[in-house]
Amino acid sequence: MGSSARSGMDRALRPISVFLDKLITEAVPHTVSSDRALPVLAAIGVVLLFSTPLLIGLTGTIAPAFGLMPELAPGNGFAQLLEDPRFLPALKLTIKTGVIATLLVLLFTVLALVCLHKTAWWRWMLAALPPLLAIPHAALAVGLVFLVAPSGWIVRLFSPWLTSWDRPPSDWVVPDAGGWSLIAGLVMKEAPFLLLAAAAQLPRLNVDALLKIGLTLGYSPARCWSRLILPTMYPRIRLTLFVILAFNLSVVDMALLLGPGNPPTLSVLLLSYVNEPGFRAAASAGALILAVGMAVLFVVVMLLERLIARLANQRRESGHRGHGSGLFRQIGKYLVLALTLCSILTIVALLLWSFTQRWRFPSVLPDTFTSRHWLGRSDLLLDPLLATILFALFSSIATLVAAVVWLEAERLGAVKKIDWLWYVPLFIPQITLLFGWQAASLISATDGLWITVAYAHWVYTLPYVVLILAVAWRELDPNWNNAASVLGAGYWKVLFRIRLPLLIKPVLQAMAVAVAVSVAQYLPTALLGAGRHNTLAIEVVTSFGGVDRRVIATLAVLQSLLPLIVFSLALFIPAAMQQKQRS
Amino acid sequence: MNALRIEQLTISLPHGVKLCDQLSFTIEPGRVLALMGPSGSGKSSILSWITGTLATEINATGKLWLGDVSLENVPTEKRRLGLMLQQDYLFPHMSVAQNLKFGLQSGDKAEREQKISESLSNAGLAALQNANPATLSGGQRSRVSLLRSLLSEPCALLLDEPFARLDSQLRQQIREFTWDACKELPVLLVTHDKADIPVHADVLELIDHYA
Repeated sequence: MGSSARSGMDRALRPISVFLDKLITEAVPHTVSSDRALPVLAAIGVVLLFSTPLLIGLTGTIAPAFGLMPELAPGNGFAQLLEDPRFLPALKLTIKTGVIATLLVLLFTVLALVCLHKTAWWRWMLAALPPLLAIPHAALAVGLVFLVAPSGWIVRLFSPWLTSWDRPPSDWVVPDAGGWSLIAGLVMKEAPFLLLAAAAQLPRLNVDALLKIGLTLGYSPARCWSRLILPTMYPRIRLTLFVILAFNLSVVDMALLLGPGNPPTLSVLLLSYVNEPGFRAAASAGALILAVGMAVLFVVVMLLERLIARLANQRRESGHRGHGSGLFRQIGKYLVLALTLCSILTIVALLLWSFTQRWRFPSVLPDTFTSRHWLGRSDLLLDPLLATILFALFSSIATLVAAVVWLEAERLGAVKKIDWLWYVPLFIPQITLLFGWQAASLISATDGLWITVAYAHWVYTLPYVVLILAVAWRELDPNWNNAASVLGAGYWKVLFRIRLPLLIKPVLQAMAVAVAVSVAQYLPTALLGAGRHNTLAIEVVTSFGGVDRRVIATLAVLQSLLPLIVFSLALFIPAAMQQKQRS
Repeated sequence: MNALRIEQLTISLPHGVKLCDQLSFTIEPGRVLALMGPSGSGKSSILSWITGTLATEINATGKLWLGDVSLENVPTEKRRLGLMLQQDYLFPHMSVAQNLKFGLQSGDKAEREQKISESLSNAGLAALQNANPATLSGGQRSRVSLLRSLLSEPCALLLDEPFARLDSQLRQQIREFTWDACKELPVLLVTHDKADIPVHADVLELIDHYA
């Protein structure tokens, strides 16, 4: 890399040191006693490791967009972007798919709460959520195509007896030009996430008691939800909703599989720029526009929240009880169940295709089965599987260590809570951060290294692990520590023999989430791996459309199996340990 | 006002234990029936059955009447029963006045405002109309919670250990306030503290099914 690129980068990096300095000043108390020096240093290490690539990533995107790194990214990025006739349609499509999908996710969650809670289906629904959450985006997208394509399972179920189709119809294609397949995929993937976040709040909000009070005051169940429960629940799931909006606006792997090709979504268009010589500045400018657009949408949502809160406040005072229509709840219930069933069917469809030898249209089930895609294609499966496992293993262990270091420092009073920091990578489009990170890795000649990709996986899994673990870590009664300490146990003994065993359930759940997040990472592996690390996520996306449907299904099932196994272990191990202790 | 009547109520848990067997009683307007018994004797389950919010896995049979009207298949929101629980459950996203308005039936705005002002003044809470429930004391919260129930114009009042969370001094004050406020209604009081029971009340003692 030339000296001008380096000096541009140096100039651009100056604000980073200022920011890091401020961050550490905020997190660390002014006076640090000697016994807290080690936890403080370790916690600062975690913060630096986490925030440095974020800052470098942002800087590495902003600088080329404004022509500050001409050797790496020549030309005027914004001008290049505006000259491309695909840019504005891509931006429109991104806003359309992202906003509609997020609204539908919110609608699904509200419907599930209002129409299913307190019914026999509710437990079934809660049990179905974690496995659905564990399915990687790319695998779900492939399964959805197998379900809704003209030759997909849904058409087969109704053909020819209802449709009279002997051949797959040609009336529609998947992915469709309007982006509706992408919207469906995003809703199926993200709705369980929001519903699980909402369900976790129900006991904290005393929902059963609130419903009882509201009902005895004469309000219909739907009115109890809309006037009593949702207004208090929304602030608690708001951040999750924003994370979902950010994801839906910037998703790449699902958009590659389910989104239209011309125009594609903005993220996909920008990714294509990176591979075109001379378009790097345009890619950076576009990534910046995507981030700014996302921020504008956040502001719009916040303004809408205020408006809705004001209207709801006025309506609450009216005293109207509502009719308590059972029909509305029935319709809502069946809509929610139908969507959940579709998500489950995508996985069943993948599983069937992975064992299919021959499946002619319009047969509902394969004509003949085979295990050769599993046993006979080890050349295609083993390397990606191994690469995926290694990244997932590293991510889960390294993030757990980092999260424990941070939370312990926080518990000891060595550092203050800075939860906002962990949300940063979830709110900035991956493409915006990773373009810059890739530019920095090109300059420092670290692109393509295993550790660079693993580092990116660590950065994207750490927020989930810290935020999941923090709740249990902070709530654990300090008297457990005190009880062990007065018995003579030192710091490490208390940590490893008391705290961690007591928190084994959330620890394993956090590790399982880390595995699921790492297994699903497409863009960090694709951009920083320089094509040298073919994980299952990479294979599923790149093979789609070009490789045999049955082999893609096998790859997608394999990708889904990893998190499913780890989630099952996270449930099974604490239960087995408890049983052993009892016996 | 009408009497609240329960006939042959039997409640059994999924594993077969009967919380009550063929229980019958009538509460006339202006009367209080105190349901006493240790934890797990089924007091709160009886209350939940009356409100129609008993968990679906618990079996219950019996007849419930409000005057001549059977409440058997009437949804909770149409039963017109006031309920006060141990915790006051003032809605945290509403002010004191908004909590009370939530209890009021719909109607003319000015009339509703006047009702709120009057009931708050009568309860000695006039200054707290726009207060956030989180800033109220335990006694103030209890009074607002009771007012909210009464403003919904219930035909009977169900009280599930409503004084248990108050300190002893405040408890007596709120008891008097409560009995004074609902002297025309049939009242079912669930408690395990004999001091909660007003002198004119009838008492029904439940047994501990696990003893």
